[in-house]
Amino acid sequence: MADLPELNPVIHGKLRLALLSLLSSVEEAEFTWLRSKTASTDGNLGAQLLKLEEAGYVAVEKKFVQRKPQTLYRMTESGREALTEYVQAIKQLLGSAINA
Amino acid sequence: MSNVEEQELKDRLSLIESMISEGRRTTESWGWTFVLWGVAYYIAIALSAFGPSAIAWPVTMIAASVLTGVIGSRISARQPETTTGRAMAAIWIGMGISLFILMVCLGMTGRLDLRISVAIIGAMLGASNAISSIILGWKMQFACAVVWWAAMVAALFTTENIAGIIFLVAIFFCQIVFGIYGMIAESRRNKARAAAQGAFHG
Repeated sequence: MADLPELNPVIHGKLRLALLSLLSSVEEAEFTWLRSKTASTDGNLGAQLLKLEEAGYVAVEKKFVQRKPQTLYRMTESGREALTEYVQAIKQLLGSAINA
Repeated sequence: MSNVEEQELKDRLSLIESMISEGRRTTESWGWTFVLWGVAYYIAIALSAFGPSAIAWPVTMIAASVLTGVIGSRISARQPETTTGRAMAAIWIGMGISLFILMVCLGMTGRLDLRISVAIIGAMLGASNAISSIILGWKMQFACAVVWWAAMVAALFTTENIAGIIFLVAIFFCQIVFGIYGMIAESRRNKARAAAQGAFHG
């Protein structure tokens, strides 16, 4: 029997998974947009985004637009690969559960 | 694997799917642009009938373009850019520039005829509405495309006066009525989405 894959713990958190999925569908997104889509608090959202950034899954850019600060998040190539691998791992685990 | 674990994995997959579709939906707020351009067409028609006819259309179209840019940038300032959004902008900007250059050149060379103008506008708006309705999967917009194509054909087989009336009617249904319908539909959809949304935790 083939070894079952392990789920990436960085992505497995519900909010981090939601963030990475959202970022996979857009080119870049602002902090406030991510907050509204996930209905999370500033503190929690910032902490989870920092974990994703430390893992190299998202890149951050800070800039001023019309003299207002904007924090933009973009999914990196390794973030995209990690999400793809995570989805494949879940499918494999579910497949093995059905076959068991 | 227990049933609870299996259900949790299924929940993770549906979370990924729902978030991806949520991200893709973000720039689908177009209703206001239809109303704005419908009003702009009526202003241009009124100005050309009762005011400085030579510059009425170019000035009104430039003003409407600037207004669309300003309002659009304010609405989308905090929205992420998506491929769908860029595709929509590409279609309408491309069509707008083509139509503007063509109409100005026809006017400058004295070849501008009301029936031909309505037919050209009908063809261009019909094509743009059809393309964006297929991309967005919005059937009602395809109905607008059909109305514009019908206006195009009808304008070529009738008198100038009737062609003018056909143009006014097509603007009313495809810009004003459809725009208001779009705004109401977008507002309802956003409310439903906000109500269905729950908070995620780490």
